[in-house]
Amino acid sequence: MNNLMAWLEERFNISAATKFAAKKKVPVFYGTVWYYLGGVSLFLFIIQVFTGILLILYYRPGATTAFESVKFIITKVQFGWLIREIHSWSANLFIFFLFAHMFSVFFSKAYRKPRELTWYSGMFLLFMALGFGFSGYLLPWNELSYFATKVGTDIAGAVPGIGEFVLRLLRAGDDVSGATLSRFYGIHVAILPAIFTLILGLHLVMIQVQGMSVPPEQENLPAEKKKYMPFFPNFAMRDFLIWLIVLNVIALLAVFFPWDLGIKADPLSPAPAGIRPEWYFMFMFQTLKLIPAHVLFIEGELLGILAFAFGGIVWFLVPLLDRKAHQGKRSKFWTFFGIALIVYMIVLTIWGYLV
Amino acid sequence: MKRLTFLLFFLIGLNPVFPLQSDSRDACISCHITVDEDLDDGDKIMPHFYDDVHYEKGLSCADCHGGDPTAFDDEDAAMTDSDSFLGEVTRDMEPEVCGKCHSDPSYMRQYTAHVKTDQVEQYWTSMHGMRLKEGNDKVAVCTDCHGLHGIRAVSDTRSQVSDFNVPGTCSRCHSDAEYMAEFKIPTDQFAKYKTSVHGKALLERRDSAAPACNDCHGNHGAQPPNIAHISDICGTCHVNNMNLFQNSHIAEIFSKRQLGQCAGCHNYHDIAKPTDEFISWSDKSICRRCHKDNENAKELATGLYNIINNLKMQNSVAIDKVENAEQRGMEVSDLQYELEDVHQTLIQTRTAIHSFNTEYVQKVADKGFKAAEAAITGADNAITELLFRRKGLFVASLIISFLVIVVYLQIRSYEDKD
Repeated sequence: MNNLMAWLEERFNISAATKFAAKKKVPVFYGTVWYYLGGVSLFLFIIQVFTGILLILYYRPGATTAFESVKFIITKVQFGWLIREIHSWSANLFIFFLFAHMFSVFFSKAYRKPRELTWYSGMFLLFMALGFGFSGYLLPWNELSYFATKVGTDIAGAVPGIGEFVLRLLRAGDDVSGATLSRFYGIHVAILPAIFTLILGLHLVMIQVQGMSVPPEQENLPAEKKKYMPFFPNFAMRDFLIWLIVLNVIALLAVFFPWDLGIKADPLSPAPAGIRPEWYFMFMFQTLKLIPAHVLFIEGELLGILAFAFGGIVWFLVPLLDRKAHQGKRSKFWTFFGIALIVYMIVLTIWGYLV
Repeated sequence: MKRLTFLLFFLIGLNPVFPLQSDSRDACISCHITVDEDLDDGDKIMPHFYDDVHYEKGLSCADCHGGDPTAFDDEDAAMTDSDSFLGEVTRDMEPEVCGKCHSDPSYMRQYTAHVKTDQVEQYWTSMHGMRLKEGNDKVAVCTDCHGLHGIRAVSDTRSQVSDFNVPGTCSRCHSDAEYMAEFKIPTDQFAKYKTSVHGKALLERRDSAAPACNDCHGNHGAQPPNIAHISDICGTCHVNNMNLFQNSHIAEIFSKRQLGQCAGCHNYHDIAKPTDEFISWSDKSICRRCHKDNENAKELATGLYNIINNLKMQNSVAIDKVENAEQRGMEVSDLQYELEDVHQTLIQTRTAIHSFNTEYVQKVADKGFKAAEAAITGADNAITELLFRRKGLFVASLIISFLVIVVYLQIRSYEDKD
């Protein structure tokens, strides 16, 4: 072992990295628990990559092969069901933990100077994760996913100016078809993973260089009252322990709550009742359903899309807009804004499932 | 005010009722519009005629009644002075007057390539036609079924002879005991038909594929089916049942004893939805109506009933097992195909009963037994797989829990040192 380390040291000067790691500390206070959310999200992404690669070995994109190949995976391939279930469940948990991570960062004001770029990169990762979800939902080519994609791309098509272009770009034609499936597959397994991995790398590097952020009130404490734990091995081992628990939860969900494959999509059949998007799009879907067809002179759907676009931009630019956070203070407005957003998302999501 | 007047005239022009006032297609119509004004609503001709398919196709009064439709403002020239003028078309004249066009293929072809032109020919072979020839004009003639001046195309659901309206149209006469008294035939056909499997399908479920009176008795050549050939009539739709029955040993016996083939067991007009108990040796048995305590018949009926009953029970077990596997989250769509096969075979087996041959029925049912067995085995395998997954989860959870404890103890040891 020592010989190997010496061999590596001679060639790569790894002692610089190990010294950096040895010095790395994690603040210990009431909010330390929130630090684990980013790590859990990272773990789930790694699971996504591994299970996704295994699924690629059997999955065959195409209107006549996609559904059949997924069915083959879950019924005939040895442990194929397990890989698919883990992929589906970890995808959903991935989005859940990303949202939780984002809100924890928001409420601890971790986006304030000097970590603005970390927030921006994190937001890009969240948008891409939603893109993973949207594109992956269509891949089994079942009835529900087909029509949900149709509705989803229709909404994208309602954007003024670029809507028609975006619609055709996503669908690879006028309607959702086998060409759309191929395109979504390409986006899901090649384009998004490549960009996601790059930005994730940047996100992690920034965290390593700048260290963990603490809320303003912790930062302002006198030095003697601040507590830390070493990242290696203490925090890393705690991370590992939580990853193991999450893995067990995924296995439990995979066995007791398997995802239904549904009925194969038939583009010529009428849309079935109860079309709904994935749960993380439900609050937007339900909002669009509630807005009247016309509000004053604007079409209701367009108004909803513009409102979401505006809200998204405001949320993205919060490091610029929350001036108090840079002064080490909490803004009541932004705290209320964050709480209102969580309440709105939860209420509309539940409403969407109940109606 | 001028604008208002213009608007009023414009709206009147759009109103479908008012075009009558200005219709001057020919002399007959322009005059009869005026005649209609003095008649009660029920006696008016033109309001009905504007809904008539003949009017839609460009025909007019003179095409049936004769006369000179170009003689405007000259009543005598239009009617009595014209050689072709028939005046009122009496009931006995109707078949030939209608047949003037409807029996002419070269004329009728202009309206549709597949038009039938044998209605009049068939009509004279019908009970209605034969009685009319004998001078009895109480029997149905063309307008009784198709309507008078408001005749609609048969494909028009408002027509008196469209699929759903045929039973009601026939029953106007055939359910009228007083009107039918002199013909000495029953008048309960419609009442019975309404309660039958066919009547319920046509009139309640609005299934246009279900037979109405004309599908068994014929349209223009309406006759009661010949008792020796009832299975040919039923076999128009129930082809397999007919073939099996006609090739069975029972067909000859039915024929010799004039038992009415299909109707012998299933009745006519009040044909009930058949149940498997029809061939059981219970109180609901149809066979026992004639065979009483015949041991051979009992053995045959019981044998056939048992095959169906066993297949039903096997089907029920298979459905329960597949549903159980599905409810527990297993992928069973392939097994659904097996269940569909069992269901199809059950239908085929019920049809095969008409062979009255136990060996043949068993052979047909065997396909269903095999499919049911495959579904049961598949469902059992799915449950075995499910249990394997749960055991696997248990083992994995044990290993992970062990690792969690090890890591936790490791963390404690680091932190105790600190």
